Amino acid sequence: MAVLQEYKCPCCGGAIAFDSTLQKMKCPYCDTEFEMETLASYDEELKNQTDEDMSWETLAGAKWQEGEADDLNSYICNSCGGEIITDKTTAATSCPFCGNPVVMMGQLSGTLKPDYVIPFKLDKKAAKAAYNRHVSGKKLLPKVFKDQNHIDEIKGVYVPFWLFDADANANIRYRATRVRLWSDSNYDYTETSYYSVSRGGSIGFERVPVDGSAKMADDLMESIEPYNFSEAVDFQTAYLAGYLADKYDVDSDQSIKRANERIKNSTERAFASTVRGYSSVIPEHSGISLKNSSAKYALYPVWILNTTWQGKSYTFAMNGQTGKLVGNLPLDKTAYTKWLLGLTAALGIAAFAVTYLLWLF
Amino acid sequence: MKKSLCIVCAAVLCLCLSVTIFGWSNTPLLVDDADLLTESEESSLLSTLEDISEYHKMDIVVVTTNSLGAKTAQDYADDWYDYNGYADDGVLLLVCMGTREWHISTSGYGITAVTDAGIDYIEDCFLDDLSQGYYYDSFMTFAGLCDDYIEQARNGEPYDVSNLPKVPFSFGKSLLVALAIGFVLALVITEYMRNELKTVKNQIAATEYVKNGSMNITHSTDLYLYRHVSRRLRPKQTSSGGSRTHTSSSGRSHGGRGGRF
Repeated sequence: MAVLQEYKCPCCGGAIAFDSTLQKMKCPYCDTEFEMETLASYDEELKNQTDEDMSWETLAGAKWQEGEADDLNSYICNSCGGEIITDKTTAATSCPFCGNPVVMMGQLSGTLKPDYVIPFKLDKKAAKAAYNRHVSGKKLLPKVFKDQNHIDEIKGVYVPFWLFDADANANIRYRATRVRLWSDSNYDYTETSYYSVSRGGSIGFERVPVDGSAKMADDLMESIEPYNFSEAVDFQTAYLAGYLADKYDVDSDQSIKRANERIKNSTERAFASTVRGYSSVIPEHSGISLKNSSAKYALYPVWILNTTWQGKSYTFAMNGQTGKLVGNLPLDKTAYTKWLLGLTAALGIAAFAVTYLLWLF
Repeated sequence: MKKSLCIVCAAVLCLCLSVTIFGWSNTPLLVDDADLLTESEESSLLSTLEDISEYHKMDIVVVTTNSLGAKTAQDYADDWYDYNGYADDGVLLLVCMGTREWHISTSGYGITAVTDAGIDYIEDCFLDDLSQGYYYDSFMTFAGLCDDYIEQARNGEPYDVSNLPKVPFSFGKSLLVALAIGFVLALVITEYMRNELKTVKNQIAATEYVKNGSMNITHSTDLYLYRHVSRRLRPKQTSSGGSRTHTSSSGRSHGGRGGRF
């Protein structure tokens, strides 16, 4: 099992966390701020230091029944000595006893070390505000859902993503038609010309993300795309302090299928857009070969909001960088029927009035 | 002496009867050989036809038959009008049940008053009733429209291409159509509103992740294969108005046209 990393304030000894507004580490007790660059080297030292503490990890593990702890990890909090139980993939959390943010170093080292991280840019308040915007102005959302607007849980999670680079070689053949219309005094003519159009070439993709966490729904994670990768930085564990983080549990080989599917679709679209000047274009044969050059491992920031309503749980996700919030909402069936009938009546009467006016004049 | 008195009485009676049944020109304005109307309908229609004919000094005639013999509907209608001693000016509607054809034949001032465009309009108005078997209603519609047409023509400008009477506003039909339109629009709008609730969907493509300027087309051909030309007869230009006429077997000029029901 692995060890914990806590970031202690060099000034007061309090536990410090990453502040998304400042984009720096900040001590909540004495308000001291630390540059991330300073911490990068500090980080290394701390890692070495904690290695020495490896001895006391057996203390916790021994008490579990066989098999019971297979999906769990347990850690001892460096601040209060409390036992932190997490599931196998957790890489950062906070101590349930003292609330100090902790990072599990073992989950993020060696081959598990992410290449990049996009730090959180938006905080919990922004997530709440985005949620409120999300539920407002939607007429078919049950009013009660809006009024009982309680979020059970808001958590900032660094979600593991695989980023795939790929070059696609395409050879696509289309059947295209061109239509010309003309007429003489007696006939209208329609001339349809048929063409065989082919396009070949290559197109490159970089950092197509695929969610590497089985816990996170793939469609939810794809819905909050895109992330702006130019703001990504080399991974440092310090960014994780104060947030939750998971390590990947879906490996790159499994994830690549999804990336390739999207790359293939994009390639087909890109090449189809070069076939211009036709009335109709139908792909006849599409040969796309992909060369995946690399897969990188990155942590992307996501705010997860959970709420339950009428026994059903609703999950919302917000892009921690851009603020794009998604999440399916329940449908008010009564309101739907009312709107449908009301609009039918209103629009029907309007249409009737128009027909009548047209008849009059 | 008594016998001759009887004959005279009978003749007077016949004359009286004929005056009531026969119209302006003393020939029957309604000949229901196909027996489509009941007695009361017959007398009601006949009195309408007589009133109109009397008023306009023209003959508005309705003829129904089961067979046209060897003639076309046009010839049958024209000949019926020409050889039964009707007035010079008139309009005749022939309905043949055997072939399910109708024909409107116009003569004299009828040609001026009931133009080709006017007949199109009459067709729109009475064809539904005619094909559904409401013969009395369709004949009354015909008679009423003829009355309108002649009145309009006498007042200067006959109903024609650019000057047609309004189709009566059909309240029920318009309401149904309007509600159907409303329902479809409402469905589109509510579907949009329902979609607003659903924001979680898989991405289809990876367009945001295309490397800038990495698209490189190395091979591009547009090969022409073959062509196919289809032609369609252009709809005839709408007539410039008025009535097209033809000459019937009696040498008189007639307008009008017919159709099936």
